Amino acid sequence: MTVATPGPVAATHPEPAGVDNRVVVGGVALTWRELPTPALPDPAAVLAHSAAHALAAARQHAVRGTELLLSTASRVDAAMRADLSEAGFAVTVLDDDGTHPSAPARPRAADPGRLWLLTSGSTGRPKRVGHTLDTLTTVRADQPERTWLCPYAPGTYAWWQVVTLSLTQPGQHLVVVEPDELDDWPAVAAAHGVDAASGTPTFWRRTLYRDAAALARVPLRQITLGGEPVDQAILDQLRDVFPTARISWIYASSEVGASIVVHDGRAGFPVDWLDRQAPGRPTLSVRDDELVVTSPFHGAGLAGPVRTGDRVQVVDGRVLITGRLDSDEINVGGSKVSAGVVRGVLTGHPTVAWARVTGRRAPVLGRMVVAEVVLTPADPSEPASADAGVPDEAALVRWCADRLPDHAVPRRIRVLTEIPVKETLKSDV
Amino acid sequence: MNELSRAQIRDLMAQVLKNQDKELPADDAAQLREIGFRSLDFSELALRVEDETGEELNFDAPGLRRIATVGDVLDFLVELQHQ
Repeated sequence: MTVATPGPVAATHPEPAGVDNRVVVGGVALTWRELPTPALPDPAAVLAHSAAHALAAARQHAVRGTELLLSTASRVDAAMRADLSEAGFAVTVLDDDGTHPSAPARPRAADPGRLWLLTSGSTGRPKRVGHTLDTLTTVRADQPERTWLCPYAPGTYAWWQVVTLSLTQPGQHLVVVEPDELDDWPAVAAAHGVDAASGTPTFWRRTLYRDAAALARVPLRQITLGGEPVDQAILDQLRDVFPTARISWIYASSEVGASIVVHDGRAGFPVDWLDRQAPGRPTLSVRDDELVVTSPFHGAGLAGPVRTGDRVQVVDGRVLITGRLDSDEINVGGSKVSAGVVRGVLTGHPTVAWARVTGRRAPVLGRMVVAEVVLTPADPSEPASADAGVPDEAALVRWCADRLPDHAVPRRIRVLTEIPVKETLKSDV
Repeated sequence: MNELSRAQIRDLMAQVLKNQDKELPADDAAQLREIGFRSLDFSELALRVEDETGEELNFDAPGLRRIATVGDVLDFLVELQHQ
C-alpha cells in the first residue's frame, strides 16, 4: 500500500525555531521548511529508507506531533517489527515512493507528542524508551552559528541530539551523510562548510586512520565525541589535527539523556562533580563501580537514580567511564581487569589506531586478557624508517607490561587491517 | 588433525619466555619456579597452542595434576590436544 505525500501540512504545532536552517542531505542543500512532510499513521514506527526520509519524518513530528518511533530497516528485525505491531504501532516503510504502512496487530489510540527511541541493544534486545521533542532537546543556550555533520544512524539518541539542535536553534545547520558516504565524509563536509561534527571515538579513529589529511581540510571548530568510552589518546590525536577547536565529549543515553559534557580536552570528568546537586542538572554518583545518573533529561518512567550499566574507575582525580559493566570486567584468576583501562594503554601507543580488549577462555586462570589492534598507517613521507616503526606483538605486550599489573597485560594481540564499525558507529570495544 | 608435536610446543614455550627476556633451559627437568614460568605464562602458552592449531583445547577434561617442570607443561599440552 502506498500513500502519496500530501501538499501543505495542516500544522498543529508552531513551526520549530530552526525551520529555516540549512539542511544538506544526499548532497542537496535545502531547509527544514522545504523538506516534505509525509502523512504518517499515528502511532507509527517509521523505517526510513535514507537520511532524507528520516529527516522528513522528524520534521513531520515537529509540525504535527504524531506519535513516532523512528529507525531504519536494518536495525529493526522481523521479531522487533512484530513486537512493535503488537504494541500498536503501524510499522511504516518511508521511501521515495511514499509511505508503506502495515496495520498494527493491536490498534490503540496515539499518545500525542510521544517520540520513542530504540536503545542500541548492545546488551540484549533493544528496548523502547519514551521521549518527547522537548526531553530530547538538551542544548538550549544560544550557540554560535555552526554547520553540523550528522553521521549517526537515524532515530538513535545521538542522531536526535544533532537533529533537535538544528530544528530548535536558528543558525544550527545540518549536513547529513548516508552510510555509504561515511568513508568520504571529510570531502562532503569540506564542500559544505561543516565546522562542527559529532561522532563516536570509533568514527573519529576510522577517519584519522583512513585519511587524516582529508580530515584536516575540514574547518572544524567544534569536535564532539560520545556513544562509547572516550580515551585520552583519541582526544590528543584530534587536538594535534585541530589545535584551536573546542573538543568535547558527551555521556548520553536513551535512558538518562545527555548527562555529562566535558570540554577540557581530557578523558573522564573531575571527581568533585560526583554527588553534586544543582537544579536542572543531572546528579552523578558511583555505586559498586557503576555510574548512577539522576537526570532531568531522562526517558519516560525513568525519574530518579538510574543505574547506567557503565563501569567507572577513578584515576588521578578523574572519573573514567571504562565500558559496559557486563563486558568491561575481565576476571583473570580472581583479579579484576578493566578492558577499558587496558584499551586506553594500547591506544596510548603511538602506532596503535584502534584497539579492542576482551577476555579469552584459558586454563588455570579461567580467562586471560587478549586484544585486537589496528596500527596507524605508515607515514609515506618517511619511507626509510617506516618498517622500524611497526611494533610486533611482543613490543606491544612489553608496552602494556610497563604500564599495567601482570594479570592485566594482554598476552595475545592480533593485528587487524581495518577498524571494524557497526551502523551505530560503534565497534563494541 | 592440526596437532603440535612436543618439540613445536617447546618452541612456543621458548617464545613466551623470550618475550620477557627469559630463557627456556634445554633440560625438561628444569623447575618452572626457577625459570620464572608462571600461571599467566602457562595460560598464554595454551592460547598459542590453540592459535597454532586452530582448535580449542578442552581445559576441563583432565583432572588436577602437579605441573612443576618444563616437561610437565609439555606433557600436559600434548595430552590436552588428544582430549
